[in-house]
Amino acid sequence: MRFKRFLQTVPMKLWLILTAVVLFAFFSNDFGLVDIQKTAIILAAGIDKTDEGFSVTAQIAVPKGSDRTTGGTSSVEIQAEGETVSDCISLIFSKTGWVPKLVFCDLIVLGEDAVKEEDIISHLNYFLRNDYMPDSCLLAVCEGKAGELISSTSAIDDASSLAIEKLFSEAAVKSGRVLTNTLKDFAIDYYGVSKCSYLPYVRMEEQEGGQNDSQTAAGGSGSSGGSGGSGGEKQQIYSAEQTALFKEGRMVGLLPQEQTLALSLLEGNVFTGTFNAKDGTMPVTLTVVRNEGGVKLDSAHAPKAELSLSVTVRLCCRGVTAPVEDIASDSVSPKILESAKKTLTGYVQTLWDMGKESGCDIFGLTRMLYRSSLKKYEEWKDVLLSAVTPVIETEVLSMK
Amino acid sequence: MNKISARQLLFFLACVAPVGKIVLLPARLADTSKNDLLFPLLAAYLLQAAAVFCTLLVAKRGMSFAELLENTFGRVVSKILLTVFALFLLFAGLLPVLEQKVMVQSVFYDTLPSLVAFAPYFLFAVYVLSKPLASHGRVWDILAPLAIFGLAGILVLSAASADFSALAPVGAAGQKGFFEGTMSAMAWFFDAALLLPLLGKFDYEKGLAWKGTLCYLAGGAAVLLFTAIFWGIFQETAPNQLFAFTVTSRYFPGVTTLGRIDYLFIFALALVMAFYVTLPLQGSIECALEAYGRPRYLPTLLAIGVTAVFLTLDVLLDYRFTEVLDGVTKWAFWVMPLFSVVIPPLLLLLRRRRRAV
Repeated sequence: MRFKRFLQTVPMKLWLILTAVVLFAFFSNDFGLVDIQKTAIILAAGIDKTDEGFSVTAQIAVPKGSDRTTGGTSSVEIQAEGETVSDCISLIFSKTGWVPKLVFCDLIVLGEDAVKEEDIISHLNYFLRNDYMPDSCLLAVCEGKAGELISSTSAIDDASSLAIEKLFSEAAVKSGRVLTNTLKDFAIDYYGVSKCSYLPYVRMEEQEGGQNDSQTAAGGSGSSGGSGGSGGEKQQIYSAEQTALFKEGRMVGLLPQEQTLALSLLEGNVFTGTFNAKDGTMPVTLTVVRNEGGVKLDSAHAPKAELSLSVTVRLCCRGVTAPVEDIASDSVSPKILESAKKTLTGYVQTLWDMGKESGCDIFGLTRMLYRSSLKKYEEWKDVLLSAVTPVIETEVLSMK
Repeated sequence: MNKISARQLLFFLACVAPVGKIVLLPARLADTSKNDLLFPLLAAYLLQAAAVFCTLLVAKRGMSFAELLENTFGRVVSKILLTVFALFLLFAGLLPVLEQKVMVQSVFYDTLPSLVAFAPYFLFAVYVLSKPLASHGRVWDILAPLAIFGLAGILVLSAASADFSALAPVGAAGQKGFFEGTMSAMAWFFDAALLLPLLGKFDYEKGLAWKGTLCYLAGGAAVLLFTAIFWGIFQETAPNQLFAFTVTSRYFPGVTTLGRIDYLFIFALALVMAFYVTLPLQGSIECALEAYGRPRYLPTLLAIGVTAVFLTLDVLLDYRFTEVLDGVTKWAFWVMPLFSVVIPPLLLLLRRRRRAV
């Protein structure tokens, strides 16, 4: 009797087991398998504008052999031109036979020509729509052509994109020398009420005394401009201390290094960053050990922007010889503090002026006004930047 | 166990029901109501909570949905009404199933997978649908902690990335944004209707009506918090982030170093959803069985039949999901409130005493 009852429940039990197995397969994500022989793992993309449309240079990671003496990432750069960015990506697929995989793409670089002439959201449209692309991917503008930057040979890493990404590390951001932005945050600014944003501006220069590369980048077999590993190329180093300003998707200005630092300080990002001040006529370098900053918009009457930054510094370096007692002390004299305050206030004032001249709402004042009062926003939105008065409050304290 | 306990029902209302509202709904609301997206969501929740309260009050009479209808309208009319209600539940189940499919295809696979990738769900559905509706009670006992684990994990990992000031200014989307958002949201709100086939399958305990409503609102509070975080993270780009609960936690700093640890919570919620999206279909089968009796093989045949219909729809509508979504949220938005908000209070007006046989 029991056996008969057991037999009756067998089909349902088998069905349950089958269901459990297929449900496991359903959640398996194909067990995360990626066939690297058929897949182009794109590390970075460079986008330039051409007469026909776009030129995309993709840096693709290439698996290395089993030679354990070499580390790092080999890469090959493939370039394609088309009417849209998607066209270019498809062309890369048809040229290489590798299915482009953007899930590891951490950097998109835009050529300077492209960002000055046109609204760059058309360049980014493909990436914003792509569900398989992380929107935390870093965005940057570069001097000249993005394709050339991506295809260049780095002096410090196997792949140029990895060398550039080092410039955008958390430590670099905390130094106040670089301002980074991601695809997501740029899009939020673009589609928000201020329509203004910024991106780091990357330059490359030949390393003095650098060797012609014949080893670092492998490959070079790519069609249409694949350049890695073509012996005879000069090694390059990169910098991103300037910041490109954007309004409605177009680049409208370029902040120098000092104003990049000022904006970082106003955002309260800086820790262990340095800047120079004067001790009389002698240069001194101060290290920021604490930073608070903020921008407030007072819209009760005529709009007024309060830009406040507070830093605590310690003496890092003097440009002249000093007695050992001075070296042993981190504290900063009032004279140097006054000089530092004057320097930082000057940086912030110039930053304000540059934003106003370019029409770029660097501080997001329009957004602040919109969020605080719809009525005031309607009243002031078109003239806010020209009408608002800045009040700059700088405080520089010495570490005890 | 032939009956659902009050605890299991409360688990469903507080923990399982909210998971259906964190996939496509937040992005849809962001599209229609912008930063005011919480208001239509709140309105939809309050309406549905009132309907849940009425349904639970009806349960006090101890009659099943079919008995209630038959007691007032007689056998023939009740059969017709049950058939119409069964068809409604099939309609209500379409969007969640397709939503689950596109979510699985987009989130769990790095490139667009074949249609077959979602086929295992239908094998699972046949099994679940062939079980008695009351067996869901035991399932909810397991799913409730899983849902809490998943939702709490997602909320904890996401909250720090959100800029809640982005929810201001209140009223920016205007009345149009509010009404369009409320209309859209209705497609995801039919929980009171899901309770109707369960009438008679649980015993009313003292205070169950208000306890159930409070549990439902507690689940709603979690959904509101999640939606606020969602807007706070993505702001103006939120309409582009279709599968809300799978994207908010990826900005957690630990994800950069440890990888997508948030997938643990996403998988937990996806598993709860697999059961939740099956519930309207099972409710529909239950209504059909109540209307036409329960011959031995009919439940299994109906389970296979309903699954076959949905599998066919899944294939036919493979590239038409956007049209289905627009159709349900823009054109057929009145269907859900008609069955899930209007009917429960009307049931309170039905004859209280059993008709003499």
